[in-house]
Amino acid sequence: MPKIHVAAIGMARKLVGFSQRTIDFSGETVADLLRALNTVDGRTLYANLVCEGKLRGDYAILVNGMSLTAEQLETRLEGGDEVVTMAILRHLHGG
Amino acid sequence: MAIQHASHHSSMTGQWIPSTCGMCLHGCGIRVQVVDGVAVKIEGDPTNPDNLGKLCPKGNAGLSRLYDPTRILKPMKRTNPAKGPGIDPGWVEIEWEEAYEIVARELGRVRRDDPRKLLCAIGDFQRIILWGWPAVFGSPNFFTSLGNYCGGSYHPVNGMVDGSFAAINDYAYCNYWIQLGSGDGFSSHLHVSGSTKRMADARMRGMKVVVVDPRCSPAAAKADEWIPIVPGTDRAFVLGMAHVLVHELRRYDRQFLREHTNAPYLVGEDGFFWRDERGRAQVWDLRVDAPRPWNDVPREAMALEGTFQVDGHRLRTGFQVWKDILVDHTPERMAEISTVPASTIRRLAREFVGAAQIGATIEIEGKVYPFRPAALNYYRGAQSHANGLLDNMTYKLFNMLVGNIDVPGGHLGVPLDHRGFFISPGEDGMIKPEPHQLHPIPPFKYPPDSTHLMEWFPIGFDAGQLNAETLLEPERFGLDYQPEVLLLYHSNPLWNMPETDKIEQIMRRMKFIVAIDIHLTESTQWADVFLPDRTYLESTLLNCLEPPVVTGHSLRQPVVEPLGDTRDAYEILTELAERLGFLDDWNDLLNVVCGFVANTTYMLDPDRRYTVEELWDRFARSVYGDDRGLEWFKRHGHAVRYRTPEETYMPYGDLRIPFYFEYVKRVGAQLRQQMEAAGITDWRFDNYVPLPFWKNSPVIEDGERGYDFYAITFKEALHTFADTVVMPWLTEVSEKDPVHQGILINRATAERLGIETGQRIRLVSPAGRIEGRAQVVEGIHPQVVGVSNAITREYVTNPTVRVKGAHFNRLLTGSMRYTDSATGGLESTARVRIEVID
Ligand code: SF4
Repeated sequence: MPKIHVAAIGMARKLVGFSQRTIDFSGETVADLLRALNTVDGRTLYANLVCEGKLRGDYAILVNGMSLTAEQLETRLEGGDEVVTMAILRHLHGG
Repeated sequence: MAIQHASHHSSMTGQWIPSTCGMCLHGCGIRVQVVDGVAVKIEGDPTNPDNLGKLCPKGNAGLSRLYDPTRILKPMKRTNPAKGPGIDPGWVEIEWEEAYEIVARELGRVRRDDPRKLLCAIGDFQRIILWGWPAVFGSPNFFTSLGNYCGGSYHPVNGMVDGSFAAINDYAYCNYWIQLGSGDGFSSHLHVSGSTKRMADARMRGMKVVVVDPRCSPAAAKADEWIPIVPGTDRAFVLGMAHVLVHELRRYDRQFLREHTNAPYLVGEDGFFWRDERGRAQVWDLRVDAPRPWNDVPREAMALEGTFQVDGHRLRTGFQVWKDILVDHTPERMAEISTVPASTIRRLAREFVGAAQIGATIEIEGKVYPFRPAALNYYRGAQSHANGLLDNMTYKLFNMLVGNIDVPGGHLGVPLDHRGFFISPGEDGMIKPEPHQLHPIPPFKYPPDSTHLMEWFPIGFDAGQLNAETLLEPERFGLDYQPEVLLLYHSNPLWNMPETDKIEQIMRRMKFIVAIDIHLTESTQWADVFLPDRTYLESTLLNCLEPPVVTGHSLRQPVVEPLGDTRDAYEILTELAERLGFLDDWNDLLNVVCGFVANTTYMLDPDRRYTVEELWDRFARSVYGDDRGLEWFKRHGHAVRYRTPEETYMPYGDLRIPFYFEYVKRVGAQLRQQMEAAGITDWRFDNYVPLPFWKNSPVIEDGERGYDFYAITFKEALHTFADTVVMPWLTEVSEKDPVHQGILINRATAERLGIETGQRIRLVSPAGRIEGRAQVVEGIHPQVVGVSNAITREYVTNPTVRVKGAHFNRLLTGSMRYTDSATGGLESTARVRIEVID
């Protein structure tokens, strides 16, 4: 079964309960991966992060370092891919 | 630590240790000579192509910061609860454990209650990775004018045009350089140490420089021509030149505008692009005389100009709309506003467009580029104004008229750091606008979370000056809490923000103030606990910020054992994060801002504490590979190289850049809807416009209230981008220069008012007043008084530095009226009347 490396940052980490993990993945897409990741509230990461088929505005997902748009959850994954999910911190100050 | 033996540059023995200057953000490469554990000399690193072995005066004076006898070298707590200017805090030294315990207790209390009650004044650009600490604490607040004072409108517009953070003319190929309100290449702004050499080289090969400035600045004094101007009217001067190009000479780069910008896109009567049913922006297809989607028409078949009737609607190209706006921006009208004679406006426009060589090409490293060796450069003085967005747009559009954006000889974007331009495809074949490069755009919210109303500036910068209004009149803005604790991190809001009296009022309300800094200032003397940081000669980081012609990091490393009982700021903030229970979030934030999320190999474990060396080792390896960790940098000092032509010139390829800023108009319209839905009816939207034009600013209107003169502040290489006004080596130099000895006033004006050099005068603005000795000079516009920042400090601890106390920011107003409604940029000019004291 293909292996996917998953990292979770901030609130996403608190939801899945781990920071980094390599998992056996039987699905095909990023959306499948989010559905396969259970969260501490008894739901899945998909249920927490996705609204009407789109990634919520306060979260970001990177696949192999490339950021997905909210509509790109059907991006296909392959063995060895790295997926990072993270909550966006709104107030990193500027100057 | 890598060691090179002392060279012939000095007769002294010892070691030369490579490092990075930290006297300003730009991080020139340095070599520090250390003899018997004492740093004795700093030189520029000749192997670093950024500064080419050169240092500015601040860099040369770095040892006087390290060994400043008034530095704070041990944690302190105040014993006198009374606070204010001139009040002795009753400092007593304490151990770190006690200091941490007090700070964690006070911050923990407010975090449990409402973390937004923490106000944060953050500075220290080189440690920009630490700036997110308040965010993980839970505070959105920004209590400083740092960044906004100069770049509030500048950075967002650069980001919207080409994904850059700053901009500079092409030192290598430019032949005709107009400079507005900036010291680039002479005395300030981007990487001044190396830039002065690049400017000098360009002058040697014949480049002409025209400087437009209210004051005969170092740049103006060395230029081929100095054009005095009324502050805040540079836009009028440039609009007048644009009128000449478009309506009188009819010379502009039609091919560039048509093929590389959205100037040919059709605009409807509502000011938005004319789109088809699929939402695609339309252009006028000259082959069929009809509107077509932009991507269905070859670039050369698009109409650049014209007004068209379609189904009863009047459509104009974006270029035509600006052309129509420019009709009444004649040199004569713009001359009345700016005082630059119409004949000068016409002559400079003619010289500029001639030097631009529209249509020329150049081959560089086997690739052919457009060649436009004329460009207009600008910075704070020309655009830190209440209509700063319009100022910045004007200068970009004027450059676009000759097709010089991001091409050899022209006006080039400068990226924020080693990651280069922020480029991704946006709508309609355009580059995606990136107005915010330091943090994501916060969504609209009412009531707002942040005291500086960041949620209400969707294309803006952190408008710290607004704290003076929002915190003293919170009900006007719906703020439903009051801050109680202030964190000062290398920041001095009592010095760097407008309306000092109001900032004092706000600081008086704080139940607890903690300062992380290296010395006492106007603001840190109000602290309850002072946590002493290390200087750049005692600490570690990798730096790459706003490099105009290079890319890559330079290592800052300790060259001597840290003095006293100090700690690195990273260690301090990490310790506090752990004590406050958010070490995991802090590490996660560092994972994001250090870019570790792009390669999880280097990600920090959320629950582990990392030393500062471990952190930067990971950073180095994540960017440069495992064979270039911290040890490699300690041996080599830097990995800085010149940017390639591909990285410099039109790095966005075929993506178009905005000429018509429809995005700005759209964002404004959306904000208006959100505001109305929230019941806010008195917010201004006047600067959410797609194209620039002339309108008076509140500063000009203040002239009608009896404030006859304009007051400006200025900085030179001794004191730019830094807190060096308190350093004896540098003040000794500036005190010998008449320009830094008093309030500059033009000779003719002084004679008219009966003022002589040395006489005490008072400047009174709508916001406040300052006093100082008049310094009568020729080199300042007759309607202007100038205040060097070298005389602005009101509190210094070094007995050899004199307090002059003409604190310019007391004259400025921080309210919304003097703030750009779209970017949050502040107004850096004040109207004043002059009173003679003796
Ligand atoms: S320009 Fe900045 S980094 Fe360079 S020497 Fe001067 S103070 Fe140091």
